[in-house]
Amino acid sequence: MLRFRILAAALMIVAAGCSRAPQAVNEVVSLRVSKIPDTPPDAVWSNAPEHTAKLLLQDLVEPRLAKASTPEVKVRSVTNGSEIAFRLTWPDAVVNDVPEPGRFPDGCAVQIPRVREVDPPEPQMGQSSRPVDITFWRADWQASVNGRPDNIRSIYPNAAVDHYPFEAKSLEPGSAAQREMATRYSPAAASGNRRAGPRDVPVEDLVAEGPGTLSPRPGAGSRGKGEHGAAGWSVVIVRKSPQGLDVRTRTQIAFAVWEGSKQETGARKMRTGWIPLSVREAK
Amino acid sequence: MARVMNWQLGREMSYWYPESRPNKQFAAVFDTNKCIACQTCTLACKTTWTSGRGQEYMLWNNVESKPYGFYPLAWDLKLLESLEGGKWTGRKYEGQTIFEQAPAGERVLGWRPESQDYAYPNVGEDDCTGQIDGGASMAMPHMNWFFYLARICNHCTYPACLASCPRGSIYKRPEDGIVLVDQGRCRGYQECVKGCPYKKIFFNPMTGTSEKCIACFPKVEQGIQPQCFVNCIGKIRLAGWISKPENAKPENPIDYLVHVKKIALPLFPQFGLEPNVYYIPPVHVPTSFTRQMFGPGVDDAIKAYRNAKNDPDLASLLCLFGSSEMVMPRWKRQGDTVSGLDEKGNTLVKVPMNEPVHVRAAYDKLYQISRTNCP
Ligand code: SF4
Ligand code: SF4
Repeated sequence: MLRFRILAAALMIVAAGCSRAPQAVNEVVSLRVSKIPDTPPDAVWSNAPEHTAKLLLQDLVEPRLAKASTPEVKVRSVTNGSEIAFRLTWPDAVVNDVPEPGRFPDGCAVQIPRVREVDPPEPQMGQSSRPVDITFWRADWQASVNGRPDNIRSIYPNAAVDHYPFEAKSLEPGSAAQREMATRYSPAAASGNRRAGPRDVPVEDLVAEGPGTLSPRPGAGSRGKGEHGAAGWSVVIVRKSPQGLDVRTRTQIAFAVWEGSKQETGARKMRTGWIPLSVREAK
Repeated sequence: MARVMNWQLGREMSYWYPESRPNKQFAAVFDTNKCIACQTCTLACKTTWTSGRGQEYMLWNNVESKPYGFYPLAWDLKLLESLEGGKWTGRKYEGQTIFEQAPAGERVLGWRPESQDYAYPNVGEDDCTGQIDGGASMAMPHMNWFFYLARICNHCTYPACLASCPRGSIYKRPEDGIVLVDQGRCRGYQECVKGCPYKKIFFNPMTGTSEKCIACFPKVEQGIQPQCFVNCIGKIRLAGWISKPENAKPENPIDYLVHVKKIALPLFPQFGLEPNVYYIPPVHVPTSFTRQMFGPGVDDAIKAYRNAKNDPDLASLLCLFGSSEMVMPRWKRQGDTVSGLDEKGNTLVKVPMNEPVHVRAAYDKLYQISRTNCP
């Protein structure tokens, strides 16, 4: 409760001093807007206050991240009441968007407790019976959404393939028999686990109740878009607003960033602790 | 980490999870002396399981020419270097395993192969630098010999792939000890690929998950040996079940070869996984090399193997390799015939120790024509 009061006081101080945008704020303040922007360069973002979140090593479970990489992520947020959007920006010189043996895509994630509480669950993936909702964006999924073909040559341009059984002449393309044959050699897809392949959105909705418990949260309907430029990645993640979050309330939020070129994947990541998240009406 | 017993090391060791042995453990014996590197096993597996997209580079079964063949490149040398070869005192391993040598923050000592490392599935194939009249053109650390090492997943008692997965997506089946990746749960972190010292688990970039040898479990469940066993041209392979040494049953072919005769040895036991594919070491290779590869039992194994001609039981059991597609959990010799039996003692196959010899005359009197060897 004491912590809540301190945070509330901090917010009032911040709120008092922000007549111009963008302001640097020491928590994530989501600006009320009428329309949610879907792309990183959208002009709406320039009105939203910016929070610079320090990234820390994942140091709770093995495998841990041994060496710090991405130092911080800049976050802006807007909301229209039903949806909340975040724009995460961090420096990254090289695009890593091709998963291969020993190679990993860049990525980022937003985590919010399922239930708004003064004392939130563990910041690293939540805890038993106290779930956290996660929206995860990955550079390879973005490449796929952007139109990268779903074939081996988009990973290995010089690959020579003699024959796939599901391309046999006897199988009519698109027929049930042909699809069955393709699935037979793609066991993850057969079990509904679509870690790769064509997709409509570059993000995935997940829920966790502690490290190692990450599971899909179907139907959550988040979306996103990432763009890479000279300054690095800029990624928009749009999800449903946390229940009960409005100008009078607050919740907590945490972020994570994976640097593909440093072989960061899964638990090997840079992450933040909980950061207060509140909503402010646009002036 | 828990303390577990690894009989191959002659001591307890540290492992990520407590000891939990399956009710039955799938195991195999490969006789390296009989392999001709025809790669029929490799293709049998490839066409059965890894013909899909993203599996192009995968060889769940591969055969490499030692000492210079590797798949992936230098897979064994990289770890041997970190473990400094591994030190044995008698039959006890005094060095560190990959679990005991795990760096801070890691679950096992591992390394990540990259795509290029898989690009030369048998570099140095059949390179033999000896027997060149004018002498060899260069000096190599290993002169004048090579042998073929056929490799599949070892369905280890203490799998490093399983220990490495932070999500618990890999499991060891209690009914047969076969190690599998839950394809619905894997998120493609490749920690298992990094952790498995044998590099027998592979990342599929088109599905985004890791995949591995499944010991043809749909066949094993029906009592049939896996594809790479039944298709083996050299008849070097025998699949079955292994017991702990103290429970060894001489009527079980794998137990007899591994525990009773001790002619079949684990591959790199010093890694600490208690692998369940056992190798009859090559008889012609310097044992300074094979001791590092198969542990301190090599000299005795070769001696017993060479003595098979005076050991009818052992000689007969070696005749059972490649004789039936069925898994033969029991065996017995009667005179100069050996039988593979099922659990109830029913005969699955009967094999004579000496095949009858037929001599065909060079001239066929009936058809009044000379026979040739041409097909
Ligand atoms: S050989 Fe490798 S993939 Fe197979 S069970 Fe052992 S650690 Fe796992
Ligand atoms: S099929 Fe048998 S003989 Fe041929 S390479 Fe494989 S293990 Fe060796």
